[in-house]
Amino acid sequence: MQYIQLAWRNIWRNPRRTIVILLAVLIGVWSMVFLGALMRGITVGMVKNGIATLTGHLQIHYPGFHDDPSIENRITNVVQLTETLSHVLPDKSRWALRVRVPAVAANARHSAGVTLVGVDPVTEARVSFIGGAIKMGKYLSDEDDHSIVVGEALLKTFNTKLGHKLVLMSQSVDGEMVSRAFRIVGSFRAELMSTEKQYVFVTRRSAQKMLKLRKDITEVSILLPDVNDVHRVREALLNALPNSEYEVLTWTELLPLLTAYLKLYDQFILIWYLVVFVAMAFGIVNTTLMAVLERIREFGLLQVFGMRPFFILGEVLVESFILLIIGIAAGNALALACIFGLGKSGLDLSAFAAGVEFAGMSRIIYPDLQLQDWVMANLVVLVLGLVVSCYPAFKASRYRPVEALAYA
Amino acid sequence: MLRSGKVKIVECIEVTKTYDQGNLQVKALENVTLSIGKGEFAALAGPSGSGKTTLLNMMGGLDRPDSGQILVEGQECTTMSQSELARLRLNKIGFVFQSYNLIPVLTAAENVEFVMLLQGVPASERRQRAKKILDEVGLEGLYDRRPAQLSGGQQQRVAVARAIVANPAIVLADEPTANLDSKTAKGLLEIMLKMNREKQVTFVFSTHDEMVMGYARRLIHIRDGKVYNDVVQG
Amino acid sequence: MGVPIDLKMAWRNVWRNPRRSLLTIFAIAFACLVLVFMLSFQFGSYETMINTSVKIYTGHLQIQAKDYQEKRDIRLVVSDPKVIEKHLKGIPHLQGFTFRAQAFSLVSSGKRTYGTLVNGIDPKNEASVSRLKSLIVKGSYLSPNDYGTVLMGQLLAKNLRVGIGNEITVLGQGRDGSIAATVLRIKGIFRTGIDQLDRSTMYIPLNCFRDVYAMGQAVHQVVMVVDSLSHVLSVKRQLAGIILHLSADPSLVVLDWEELMPGLRQGIEMDLISGVVFYLILILVVAFSILNTFLMAIFERTREFGVLMAIGVTPGRLMRLLFIESLILTLVGIGAGIVVGVLVTRYFQFHGIDISGASDLLTQFGITGRLYPRLSYISVASGPAAVLIITSLAALYPTLKVRSLQPVKAMETV
Repeated sequence: MQYIQLAWRNIWRNPRRTIVILLAVLIGVWSMVFLGALMRGITVGMVKNGIATLTGHLQIHYPGFHDDPSIENRITNVVQLTETLSHVLPDKSRWALRVRVPAVAANARHSAGVTLVGVDPVTEARVSFIGGAIKMGKYLSDEDDHSIVVGEALLKTFNTKLGHKLVLMSQSVDGEMVSRAFRIVGSFRAELMSTEKQYVFVTRRSAQKMLKLRKDITEVSILLPDVNDVHRVREALLNALPNSEYEVLTWTELLPLLTAYLKLYDQFILIWYLVVFVAMAFGIVNTTLMAVLERIREFGLLQVFGMRPFFILGEVLVESFILLIIGIAAGNALALACIFGLGKSGLDLSAFAAGVEFAGMSRIIYPDLQLQDWVMANLVVLVLGLVVSCYPAFKASRYRPVEALAYA
Repeated sequence: MLRSGKVKIVECIEVTKTYDQGNLQVKALENVTLSIGKGEFAALAGPSGSGKTTLLNMMGGLDRPDSGQILVEGQECTTMSQSELARLRLNKIGFVFQSYNLIPVLTAAENVEFVMLLQGVPASERRQRAKKILDEVGLEGLYDRRPAQLSGGQQQRVAVARAIVANPAIVLADEPTANLDSKTAKGLLEIMLKMNREKQVTFVFSTHDEMVMGYARRLIHIRDGKVYNDVVQG
Repeated sequence: MGVPIDLKMAWRNVWRNPRRSLLTIFAIAFACLVLVFMLSFQFGSYETMINTSVKIYTGHLQIQAKDYQEKRDIRLVVSDPKVIEKHLKGIPHLQGFTFRAQAFSLVSSGKRTYGTLVNGIDPKNEASVSRLKSLIVKGSYLSPNDYGTVLMGQLLAKNLRVGIGNEITVLGQGRDGSIAATVLRIKGIFRTGIDQLDRSTMYIPLNCFRDVYAMGQAVHQVVMVVDSLSHVLSVKRQLAGIILHLSADPSLVVLDWEELMPGLRQGIEMDLISGVVFYLILILVVAFSILNTFLMAIFERTREFGVLMAIGVTPGRLMRLLFIESLILTLVGIGAGIVVGVLVTRYFQFHGIDISGASDLLTQFGITGRLYPRLSYISVASGPAAVLIITSLAALYPTLKVRSLQPVKAMETV
């Protein structure tokens, strides 16, 4: 205990010097934790958005559908599939059956490629973003056979409004081009404008009618209660379903670009931690050296009184340790305050709306503090900080009493 | 007291200085009045705490009295600004302290040149004068040594050389021999005496050492902040 | 000697405590090194992204009908491209131009049908404006005499289940509202690496497009390439002047690449700003890290300063001396950092950085293969300049404290 008391007093012998290095550590740690959380927030936002934009945690298709999303690769044995799902999936999982095909949308003024999504309105709302995204008009209901819901940006591109007509063309099961007219009953807003321009929603029944599908679907999207369960559930499904008839894909496989992004950010964050630490380290070593060198006489005296060199080294390390702990605690406190402060409103990037769209990010970033980042940041500073302090600590212990006392 | 006919270099009139030591108020100097004339070789003698260092600092414009006046070559110091005092010290006053006189990173010659640099003396002239004065204080050949490479006595001689080279009106030395052994101390005092005789440089030094007091031609005894004796001796 | 004593003193004072000074210099050099490298890296990748997008997509400048960029209506045309072409001949810095027309149509092979963007291009001029020719992976590029042939994106060909020599049908709407239909033979397949493009674009000869879509002599875009990014604005001004005088068309506009791809410029801005935030924090940490050196260097010499003031050095001069010391330290650090930074960056400028893990991701943004940092005056100077300013401010703080020193008090310091 006396060690700590001694170390504590020694630290405050030169308050200004101690405070200066504390500030360096504080700013460094603050930036690691806070900016790291912001960076994570970006990727977490993208993942959430990706999953909500129809991907879900898992998807099941006919084998090959992922590469070739055409009506040929459809799921025909729907009843068997849904039975298996209710057995295999954990409680509280939700799933939605869909007919998703590429199509062309046209009205008098414009035509463009879109993705037609035929959904069960109620189940779909529990699995993807569409449930809460309707901003004008209304959502689909089961009886709607000719209603369609489109993105706000699509309304603009097609120069049309709610209540107007939109014709959809696609390929039916017999290979023929079919078309069907729908009435726009509602419009939705999404994170990305490209989402709004791409997806159009109709009821599953009307899609099946239009494409002559009868009871067939093209995909099932599943939302698990715990996203980390994804791989286990995937294995379970692969075991339960005949592999010749079904492919089961996780969101990481469905969004390979996003997954690559995440890996990239992992590396960014680590590199940032190391760079900031090196910047701090120079100061830590220098300050500890100064604190040691001005006390060489004293260390000599201590050795004369019987303290062994090893304990001197230990004492200097304890000083460093206390210093680091204070700096780390302060940096963390400030970072947590910033994270909390920004937690509700998020960081608004609307000024860069086009750039954000380009990068595939959400417009508002919420900081996301993840345990592994937080632990890593603090460990880097504490452990490496102690490591670099070994140099001056070692120097302190190496002076022989006679040398030390003679030190002018 | 004043030698008649001598020009007054420094004049102290009713100088008083009080310090706070904790809750106490210590009178370092109390109504001190004296004058130093040109060419004098005077010692302020007294035990430690007598106020001799304080008086010396006053005379050199390093400190301000609480009341009273200090005149250096007729100029009133007590109302000068910091920069004006600095200029005064540069041009009119030379200092020699007990220790740590010299700039550690400069050589002996450079230490002496430094003052001339501040005064704006051109480089070639500086070097010449520095060497010459170092010769005069007995340090030929040691021009390029750094203070760490000189003995205590040699360092003090460089300090004296630096104090003199700018042709000051007065040189103030605060216990200049306190850290030297008696032989070296005598050597230093001989140099100072030589400078005083040959160049008419006015010297005032403080001391509590009997041997040093013996060298002074005028002995000003100070105790408890007051001058209680002021004699001229051989 | 030639060097004034002020400087000699400052230099020697810096080296009084070599270890401490070296650690400080290393800290400053480290910051500069990181900044030079990172800024070169950022600017290098921006340049690559811009050039790729420009060379594949949009060119540096385009002349279009007003509102075409937003509405993409086939009827919003540039009706008389030949007239414009005549004016383009004399413009300095203009490296190449071509005409394009576009329409969204249905494309089917026997088995599949997809919506696609059909582009009519002039094969010869297109090659001087975009990299399309070099992106052909199968088959061959369009030749000037081709008529019923098409170049198709790789993913689109895959989705349609077609290859070289196969025929596809195109069905769309012409400029006059009539049905536009034709059969085309696949001559070449290209891969840009950008999934969006590979999945939904194809290129046919312009004269064929004009016939099929009843365009007459009109086109939708005059696409131009300039010899360097710095000249884009001056060429744009000239073009704006030209189209003002053409009374044939109701209203044409000149758009530069930033307006054609607003996301790209903003994306770059965002990246730059976030980078700057990180860099400033880094410099701040370094500044506090080394502040103690400056503080110690001053406070352990208080006694010496007292003596200096006693012999006539004014506080102002003293401050100046001390500031020069800090400046020497800082400049040595910055110099070392720049030198090492430039060397390291140069190495990677030649060898590139392998980011194979993220290559699929980066090709979407137009960065292929390896990343090449690029040294420029800005990337080398701006980081160290910021370091200089901030460390000088840090050095100023202890120097200011010297101003209030009293000689007597100072000399009493133990």
